[in-house]
Amino acid sequence: MHKIESKDVHLYYGSFHALKGISIVIEKNTVTALIGPSGCGKSTYLRLFNRMNDLIDNVKIEGQCLIDGKNIYSREINIEDLRKRVGMVFQKPNPFPKTIFENVAYGLRVNGITHSTFIEERVERSLRQAALWEEVKDKLKKSAMELSGGQQQRLCIARALSIEPSVLLMDEPASALDPISTAKIEELIYELKSEYTIMIVTHNMQQAGRVSDYTGFFYLGELIEFDTTKKIFTNPTDTRTQNYITGRFG
Amino acid sequence: MTHLDIELKSLKTDMLEMFSLVKNQLEKTKDALTSLDKDLAREVMVNEKRVNGFELKLDRDCENIIALLNPVAVDLRFVLAALKINSNLERVGDIADGIAKFVLNIKLDVEPQLLQTTRLVEMFEIAIGILKDVMEAFDKEDTALARSVFKKDEVLDEINVDANTAVAEFIRANNDRINQSLYTLSTIRKLERVGDQCKNIAEEIIFYVEAKVLKHKSLSQKEELPGETKN
Amino acid sequence: MNKRIKEQLAFWTFRVLSFLVIAILFSILGFILYNGFSVLSWDFISKMPEDGMTKGGIYPAIIGTLYLIAGSMLFAFPIGVMSGIYITEYARDGLLKRFVKLMTNNLAGVPSIVFGLFGMALFVNKMEFGDSILAGSLTLSLMVLPVIIRTTEEALLAVDNGFRHASYALGATKLQTIGRVVLPMSLPNIITGMILSIGRVSGETAPILFTVAAYFLPKLPTSIYDQVMALPYHLYVIATSGTNIEQSRPMAYGTAVVLILIVLILNLIANALRKYLGKKYKIS
Repeated sequence: MHKIESKDVHLYYGSFHALKGISIVIEKNTVTALIGPSGCGKSTYLRLFNRMNDLIDNVKIEGQCLIDGKNIYSREINIEDLRKRVGMVFQKPNPFPKTIFENVAYGLRVNGITHSTFIEERVERSLRQAALWEEVKDKLKKSAMELSGGQQQRLCIARALSIEPSVLLMDEPASALDPISTAKIEELIYELKSEYTIMIVTHNMQQAGRVSDYTGFFYLGELIEFDTTKKIFTNPTDTRTQNYITGRFG
Repeated sequence: MTHLDIELKSLKTDMLEMFSLVKNQLEKTKDALTSLDKDLAREVMVNEKRVNGFELKLDRDCENIIALLNPVAVDLRFVLAALKINSNLERVGDIADGIAKFVLNIKLDVEPQLLQTTRLVEMFEIAIGILKDVMEAFDKEDTALARSVFKKDEVLDEINVDANTAVAEFIRANNDRINQSLYTLSTIRKLERVGDQCKNIAEEIIFYVEAKVLKHKSLSQKEELPGETKN
Repeated sequence: MNKRIKEQLAFWTFRVLSFLVIAILFSILGFILYNGFSVLSWDFISKMPEDGMTKGGIYPAIIGTLYLIAGSMLFAFPIGVMSGIYITEYARDGLLKRFVKLMTNNLAGVPSIVFGLFGMALFVNKMEFGDSILAGSLTLSLMVLPVIIRTTEEALLAVDNGFRHASYALGATKLQTIGRVVLPMSLPNIITGMILSIGRVSGETAPILFTVAAYFLPKLPTSIYDQVMALPYHLYVIATSGTNIEQSRPMAYGTAVVLILIVLILNLIANALRKYLGKKYKIS
């Protein structure tokens, strides 16, 4: 059974055909990068897996999206449960205007956990996983808005990890950050791989090369090529993929 | 350690293994030749496949590192040097294989007299010594050790030149042993080339550690330590 | 005319006009203070009116106004905020939503006397509350409802969607997201709406005219079905009717001062609250 799978998925925003028959299989504990020009469906595809597209009016989805073999769009699925198992990190860091501690604890609290020792331990664990603990351990009660952009994004990662999802969806997590923060986050992703299955949308091709095991190239809503990152970056099958990667895109 | 560091470390370990492989080939060939052990010679020839396979793997690893991890500066120089050293080592492996083929084809022992006058065994030992030197220089990033190789190689060149005379004389005295003599001469040429390959490896090591290009320079220029300028 | 001169002209025009506005504001305040200053005293605030409103204090009117502020806010605030939340967070975009918003805005423009008549017809007569604090509060709350709804709406819209998405992505329900993230962030601006409403409620005479206000009550109200005196109505009464208008004129000015002061103090309190909440949730 594959960890994440989509079978011939089509998505329409009203009459606009945004995703055209995407079939991808993703195995556990791998990092998959989705690359392609702007507006080609990568983020839309990513958002299928925690059903964030449901928040937009007028969206129609065909085909199947499966996690752990189960169709996540079936009626029996509880959306809140799904989102506990599938975490998301957004492009623009969006920590809540609360304390650092409360930001990470938020996910636990909304899921009904009240035991304070448990919450404290989990907060520390998540911050360590996000490589942020050492920098904030003495100022957990300070506002999250006082952190730098890179720290805020790592805080958002800690927040997503706090509820122990098994899948992590990352939508251009480093695009709003400076190079050093970006490098830190890339290293983080590389390390998180052993415990999570990660799908990451990125505009930065070198980033895809650095962090991912598999890469999918999207163009105008279609999946042009999906293969190991090594293959895509050394000898892609499709000319369009090669043109995009070498920067010779029209 | 970043992803890149892990890959570079892995590459270095694999390179050292390639060095080791090739060194063993050379040592086995020397033993095969001096004791005319045909079984040992066959071992060397079988192992040659492993050497070739390993070369291909190392090439692919270097390609992947460059394509995926964008190394720059010393990291990039390291990967480029590794690519070239890999190719040099493969050729040394070929040479060992070639000499082993001779051992299989010789019908009689090599004349001890010939062995002595041509200093063949000494040559073997110097060549293997030089290979060990560059292996250590690569491992320890020791550019002084790498530079010492240039001088040592001169001895090999010397033996190579002298060998012509020695063998010619032997043929004049023993013209029923021409095949043997030719094989011996061939082996000497091959060993001289081992020295050349090791010199190239030394140049690559100095390139990646010091960013100094020593290709096509004179001996004295090569021996210059960083910071000096003789002429 | 060259650019620099145009710039200067514009700058000075704006400056003069602004100062003009401030000057007008200060003259009004100054005028009232000057004329009412003579009657201001502790007695004025704490005593009942005496001698046909020519002496004594305006204590019951102060209490009455405070009761009406409290009463109207009690109804208007929760209903207004919840409506605002519904319109912004739950209602689907469409004809109905647009219609509701249009109606809300229109309600804001209805003259206050119309509210007064409506309040009298519905609360005083039909529902038989009679002239009472209950009727008055309900009428006033209807009047300020659109303001509260609109400011709540705007406060909620000002919260960036990114925060909502982050909350949903962690498995929170819409209610949890509103309660734990969106509402706390919009509270400062919602309170601004409340400040505006308090100001209106304190000062409107027409809605309370037919629903609660009394010319003179010897005792303070003891239940919500009682009538009550109120500052704006009291001011009107002193200035226009009464037994000796000339003599009680200073009392009118004094009442005006007290009214302004009450609104000012309530504003300051609400502003402080707003600042405190703004800092707590560190939005800026």
